[in-house]
Amino acid sequence: MTNGITRREALAASAACLGLTRCSLVAGHQPLPRVSIVRASYSQGLYDTVRRLLVEHRVDVRGRRVVLKPNLVEFDPGTTINTHPMMVHAALEGFRALGAAEVRIAEGPGHRRVTLDLADAAGYFETIPQFENLFTDLNVDDVSQVLLRDPFSRLNSVYFPNTALAADLLVSLPKMKTHHWVGATLSMKNFFGLVPGGVYGWPKNVLHWAGIDECIADFHAAFPRHFAIVDGVVGMEGNGPIQGNPKPVGVLVAGKDMMAVDATCCRIMKINPGAIRYLRLAAGPTRLDEENIRQVAEQIKDVQTPFELISQFQSIRL
Amino acid sequence: MDISAIINLQNRDGGWPYRKGGGSWTEPTVFALLAQSVEKGDAQSIDRGFMWLRSVHRQDGGWPPRAQVAQSTWVTAIVGLLPRDALGRWHHSSAIDWLMGQTGQETSFAYRLRSELIGNGPSGQEPRRGWPFFPGAAAWVSPTAFGILALEKARRYQMGGAIQQRIQVGREFLMDRICKDGGWNYGRSNVLGVDAPSYPETTGQALLALNEMQPTHLEKALNTAQEQAQACQSSEGLSWLQLGLQAHGIVVTGPRRALPCRQVVDSALAILARAAIDGRNLFLE
Repeated sequence: MTNGITRREALAASAACLGLTRCSLVAGHQPLPRVSIVRASYSQGLYDTVRRLLVEHRVDVRGRRVVLKPNLVEFDPGTTINTHPMMVHAALEGFRALGAAEVRIAEGPGHRRVTLDLADAAGYFETIPQFENLFTDLNVDDVSQVLLRDPFSRLNSVYFPNTALAADLLVSLPKMKTHHWVGATLSMKNFFGLVPGGVYGWPKNVLHWAGIDECIADFHAAFPRHFAIVDGVVGMEGNGPIQGNPKPVGVLVAGKDMMAVDATCCRIMKINPGAIRYLRLAAGPTRLDEENIRQVAEQIKDVQTPFELISQFQSIRL
Repeated sequence: MDISAIINLQNRDGGWPYRKGGGSWTEPTVFALLAQSVEKGDAQSIDRGFMWLRSVHRQDGGWPPRAQVAQSTWVTAIVGLLPRDALGRWHHSSAIDWLMGQTGQETSFAYRLRSELIGNGPSGQEPRRGWPFFPGAAAWVSPTAFGILALEKARRYQMGGAIQQRIQVGREFLMDRICKDGGWNYGRSNVLGVDAPSYPETTGQALLALNEMQPTHLEKALNTAQEQAQACQSSEGLSWLQLGLQAHGIVVTGPRRALPCRQVVDSALAILARAAIDGRNLFLE
């Protein structure tokens, strides 16, 4: 344990060491996961839309500590690489309005070193008042070692940032993008940004050697108190997650079950979720089936639009 | 953040955090000490910093990124940039020994054999051996640049062909990774058939590590670095470019707007870059 850590953080980190490992939910013994697909635009009504989503999903954060985890990758504000800053601000306001005791924004980018520079260039300082005071750079946060019980990957343990470990609710706010190694990067893959570059480097290449898909499944299990809102207003297709092209979809996809959220996003992108290895690993053979996910608001077929795929991933087309 | 602000961020244990209020890490501690050696430092602060570094030195000879992490990593190379006598001879030489034993996992016999067996084998050519961030992972541009710089310093104390040979192999790794645009990405120059873009920080670090190369071999890289400096969006990136270009006799000032320093490492780097522009490039001393 590190110096400067609060008792609450220490307790949360200890809990993580002891038991925050793989979830063993079995489809059929639980109510079907609900996933919302709502139309959205950055220029109109985004804040209301996000707030309604949180209310509809009965996200109870009263008195809780919420950590928002956007996907912040590159400097260029003109591209669709990063989660839109308004999306992050809307979530911040939404969780505050629901009575959260604290809402922080936290990210640990994979290759850029000074995350605040990245956030500045990506428009986060301009959009989110007091951004610097609300933000934790997960790459250089204090860390605790978390043991992974029965991991999919070759890792037996991972150092995670205490800010993430101490969260009562970790909210994944990714961009809807294709990915040149794993097919699609959505709410589960976004948790790669929880791994501290300060320990593993820039990029966190250890995770690649331990198995990217396997690590995604492991991290999903290590942080079971989560919620996801995927920014699909404008996604990225082709050679994502950095060098792809903008893909307007005009939706947000949200829910408490990240596997179900990601499977739904895949269907919107006309990608077979069963062909995404990390989803298959985490969810098992049947849980991703459409009939095992309760879609609310828009129907998939009404918003579905095929994302361009690089040649290596043509086989995952739905 | 000037040198006194950096000194003020020193933790009670003697190390430095990346940012105010954090625990001590090896990387910001090294950079805070380096910055204090080119500007008026505080003797007591420096002593405590070195003491902290010695206290976290691992038995295998390397340094962990922070005390609580049970693994030596790439930060061992930046510890190797510190003056040997201030760090301690034994500490310094064991860091260099640790570095000499590290290479990217992609060059391991087991990995190469597996690649051959599944038909992904390279041409039989000797692999380029750089350094990884973390043992067991592949080599990348940044840790390779720091590995070379640390060995160049060690070369003054430890004569012998092995160090020089490792420096040369490291340089070959960097030359092999030049992107089509002339600079350096973090990793490969081409991924899945698509050219990767170069970045200011990695381009600056690579140029710094290639300080002994003839400028004629680096003409495009030097031009690219100067262009990157004008468009740079981070103080960290600009500082590395200034340090790398200064190593080849080129001084750049960067974009017109001031780039903020936000943490210990980029603040210390800005101090080191200014010193280099004034003629003292600490990485090459």
